[in-house]
Amino acid sequence: MNKVESPQVTKRKTRLSSACTPNAVENATRTINLPPLTLRDLVFGEEEALTYDDLISSLPGRRTQIFELIRLLGPVNSPVSPLFVYGGASTGKTSTILQIFRHLNRPFVYSSCRTCYNARQLFENILNQLLLHRKSEINGYSSAKKCEKQADFVNLLKDALTGVVESLKGNLGKSSSSKNSGISVNGSMVYLIFDSLELIRDWDKSSTMLPFLFKLHDILKVPDVGLIFISNSSLDAYYSDTGFVDPIPVHFPDYTEDALRQILMRNQPNSKLYSCFLDLVLNPFYRVTRKLDELSTALSPLFKKYCEPLDDLEVVPNEEIKRKLLCCFKPYIAPAINEIFRVTSLASNENLKRKKYGGSDSIDGLEFHMSTSAKYLVISAFLASRNPATLDATWFDSTGGSSNQKKKRKSSEKSRDLKEAAEQEAFLKGPGTFPLERLLAIFQCLTSGAEYSVEEEIEGETSLDGDNSLMSDILLQVSSLCSANFISKGGSCPLEGSIRYRSTVSEDLALKVAKSLKFPISNYLYRR
Amino acid sequence: MGRSIGEEALLLLRRRLCDPNFIFSLFSASPDSNYSKLKFIVSSSVTEACNNSILLLGPRGCGKIAVLDLVLEDLLKEYSGLISVIKLNGLLHCDDNCAIKEIARQLCIEHELMFSKMASFDDNSQFMIAMLRECGLAHKTVIFILDEFDLFAQGKQRLLYSLLDAMQSVASQAVVIGVSCRLDADQLLEKRVRSRFSHRKLLFHPPPKEDLQRLLKHTLLLPTDSDLPHDYVTEFNSKLSNIIADKRFMEVIDKLSDSDSTFSNFVRFLFSAVSFIDLKSGFMTLDNFKSALLTIQRQPKLDCLKGCSVLEFFIMVCMRRLEVKEKESYNFNSIMKEYNRIYDSFKMPDFYSPSVCLRAFEHLVERELIEFADRGQNQSIEFRSVKLLISSYELQQGLKFNRFVNLKTTLHLTPPVLHFSPEVDLHRCRQHSNSSHFICSSNKRFEAIPRSPPIFKGLCGSYASFLVLSYSGKYEESLCLIVCSL
Repeated sequence: MNKVESPQVTKRKTRLSSACTPNAVENATRTINLPPLTLRDLVFGEEEALTYDDLISSLPGRRTQIFELIRLLGPVNSPVSPLFVYGGASTGKTSTILQIFRHLNRPFVYSSCRTCYNARQLFENILNQLLLHRKSEINGYSSAKKCEKQADFVNLLKDALTGVVESLKGNLGKSSSSKNSGISVNGSMVYLIFDSLELIRDWDKSSTMLPFLFKLHDILKVPDVGLIFISNSSLDAYYSDTGFVDPIPVHFPDYTEDALRQILMRNQPNSKLYSCFLDLVLNPFYRVTRKLDELSTALSPLFKKYCEPLDDLEVVPNEEIKRKLLCCFKPYIAPAINEIFRVTSLASNENLKRKKYGGSDSIDGLEFHMSTSAKYLVISAFLASRNPATLDATWFDSTGGSSNQKKKRKSSEKSRDLKEAAEQEAFLKGPGTFPLERLLAIFQCLTSGAEYSVEEEIEGETSLDGDNSLMSDILLQVSSLCSANFISKGGSCPLEGSIRYRSTVSEDLALKVAKSLKFPISNYLYRR
Repeated sequence: MGRSIGEEALLLLRRRLCDPNFIFSLFSASPDSNYSKLKFIVSSSVTEACNNSILLLGPRGCGKIAVLDLVLEDLLKEYSGLISVIKLNGLLHCDDNCAIKEIARQLCIEHELMFSKMASFDDNSQFMIAMLRECGLAHKTVIFILDEFDLFAQGKQRLLYSLLDAMQSVASQAVVIGVSCRLDADQLLEKRVRSRFSHRKLLFHPPPKEDLQRLLKHTLLLPTDSDLPHDYVTEFNSKLSNIIADKRFMEVIDKLSDSDSTFSNFVRFLFSAVSFIDLKSGFMTLDNFKSALLTIQRQPKLDCLKGCSVLEFFIMVCMRRLEVKEKESYNFNSIMKEYNRIYDSFKMPDFYSPSVCLRAFEHLVERELIEFADRGQNQSIEFRSVKLLISSYELQQGLKFNRFVNLKTTLHLTPPVLHFSPEVDLHRCRQHSNSSHFICSSNKRFEAIPRSPPIFKGLCGSYASFLVLSYSGKYEESLCLIVCSL
């Protein structure tokens, strides 16, 4: 039940801030009866505000952006035109904005279009925060106001904003006279922050929603509100039919190598050792990706590898140790880059630990379990996608018209050209589609041809009386393979009207599956 | 509160820049301004107790709404009690039901009546007609303002019809003011609506350079009769006049207005220039304006390219090579083939496995530097055909910026036919031209050559239709549009 409070608490959590203050979450989960929200909950809510120097040092490589943003936000109570903060993924947009507000200690409302996945959620979230409303058991976890249409939202937002601004102004007068309140709120401006704006483009009514948000400042006509949009993609991606008045853009460039090093060095117990490690690793990895999140996940297991020869992790590395470590570590770097983005399951992770990092093809077994019939189905789907349907008879029927196919005519110049064009086309078009009947036919041929003791359902199929009730198991397998995305269901064929399928399995995986069955797949594969 | 003088001045300037009324009050004095024309039309229909309808047309950011607000403010003062204003916005009330409800709501507030949320469309429209009649009998004019007028013209136009139809009777006394940035807004109307509409139009233009100059002085020069110390104000003003007289400053302004000379763009520019004021000294410098120009005129694609890694550039170079070879469509697999070919022939230092390349490829899609050309139902990424969203010029700039010299050599390209000057904000031109529906682009790709006087050449895709567009600066001449289909 504490989950419900978490949106209130985690709304201001970014990767960075949640890493910094883990106990904030604990506090929230422990207290069940939270006190009613006050205006102070609109500021960042730390005990003391961040100083400017702390702000700069906590966000390496973002000095110019912070400077620009603070300048644009201006001194306390100064009106601001809408800002548009953009830059690639994991360039610290959200954390920078939130930390700036922590530094400025001004009231703001943060809502991300990722968690508020439609217009209603977004509107109600903003209103809830402004009206200091908390969803709880007492009010049946309902929002403060029901609001779906943009027209209603504008009216409600105007009321809510004027209310908040007025009470902030009243508060300001009080706190300046008494000066004993713990956290004071700076200024009477409220800033609305919209995060991940690019997601709105996929919403239902994006064609009116986006111009509406960009124009919100003009529509509201409340001078005490500032709007900040945070987005992955630049302004020209929000290109609409009749255009909109642009907000002021602030660009967050990708991190440079130095900035990445500074960020990665943070919170490392043995900074000297880690910096030696980064000397080796960072540059090659930086050539592949500049995304911080990917780099940090890729580097953390590598660092463990690097430290393996060391007994004492606290050691300050001298030249000799460095050289030794380099010798042990060097062979792992190049393969690790090619492994960099592989998402491995837990079990295979353990496997990897036992295995040596030989080459990229060291894992020959399948990394997951699959029943034999499912494996056969995967193979037959693969074959059905790759082989032309006209040649099925050649492969699978011993008496079929194989005689004229086996004679290979010498290819003339023209036919070779044709062949090349066909190859090119296949390359572009990808795997072909097939109806379910063909899949089942190939499956039957494969399983009846195989001399292994196969499971009962296949026996049932091969039996002469053709027990259809056992076929349903196969159909079930097909549908589960579909949902596991081994086979994709395509649109129906306009002529036949039946649904067509397509195998999405890569050749490597198909070969692996065949290997695990000891099935000679290459005999059946059509090579042009 | 213990603010410094600089801060006080900054606050004053920012308040001014965020207040459209202040900005446009400058232009209300002259007799042939839109302000005077609009005021004349509306006030005459108030005094003569007749019905009227006007369209205010012009590109975005030319102050249509701001001028209208000024007029209304004055009229409300002049004829207090005789006017009630109903404001609708196409973005909020494009649905007829919602719009009529909003009208009823605002009428209720205006006349202190109870508003029923449950009322149906018919109830509300009958209420509106009755109210119009009552107001007409009381010699009270109702002014309807329909912002984003073009959006009301979607669908069945029931709202427009019932509104304009109610105005046909002698008893009513109403003015409908439509505001739109589509110059062809009146063409969107249905026949039955159009015939009831008076085709009065007021055009709003982007201001000429002299007006921008006046606006600059109007907003940035500090008033001598304020709380600020007199010495500071005179020093600030004299420094600012020096800057304005500077030739380099004029270059900055020219650069800005070459790509977009609307009021809103200029005000945004001034806003960011003002916010760069050094608070310690509290005076504006030329650098403030220069850096403001840099923040306002960005080239998003180039910014995005600058952050790409070597491998991502590699993939884009491969795509570019495929395009030069006139491959009509290509996908990830053909890119990988090209990648291997480059690797073999140029002996590149680093080679990555296809899975890593695929990830980099996905990054590019995420950055919107490349895009899938097909719908791609149930097709895996490797096989979906893609296209580049950047020009070869941009790609070369990006490579140059990142100093990937050896990669650049692999980009054996014919010199690009069109260069677009780096200082031009392509996005702005595109938006601008599109907002007035001069270019209807089907494709995201554009290359442009704006010069001063701005001439855009839009190239929609290299193989698609080819639009040449010349922009004469005056809307009456309605911009000659030459479309050569290739």
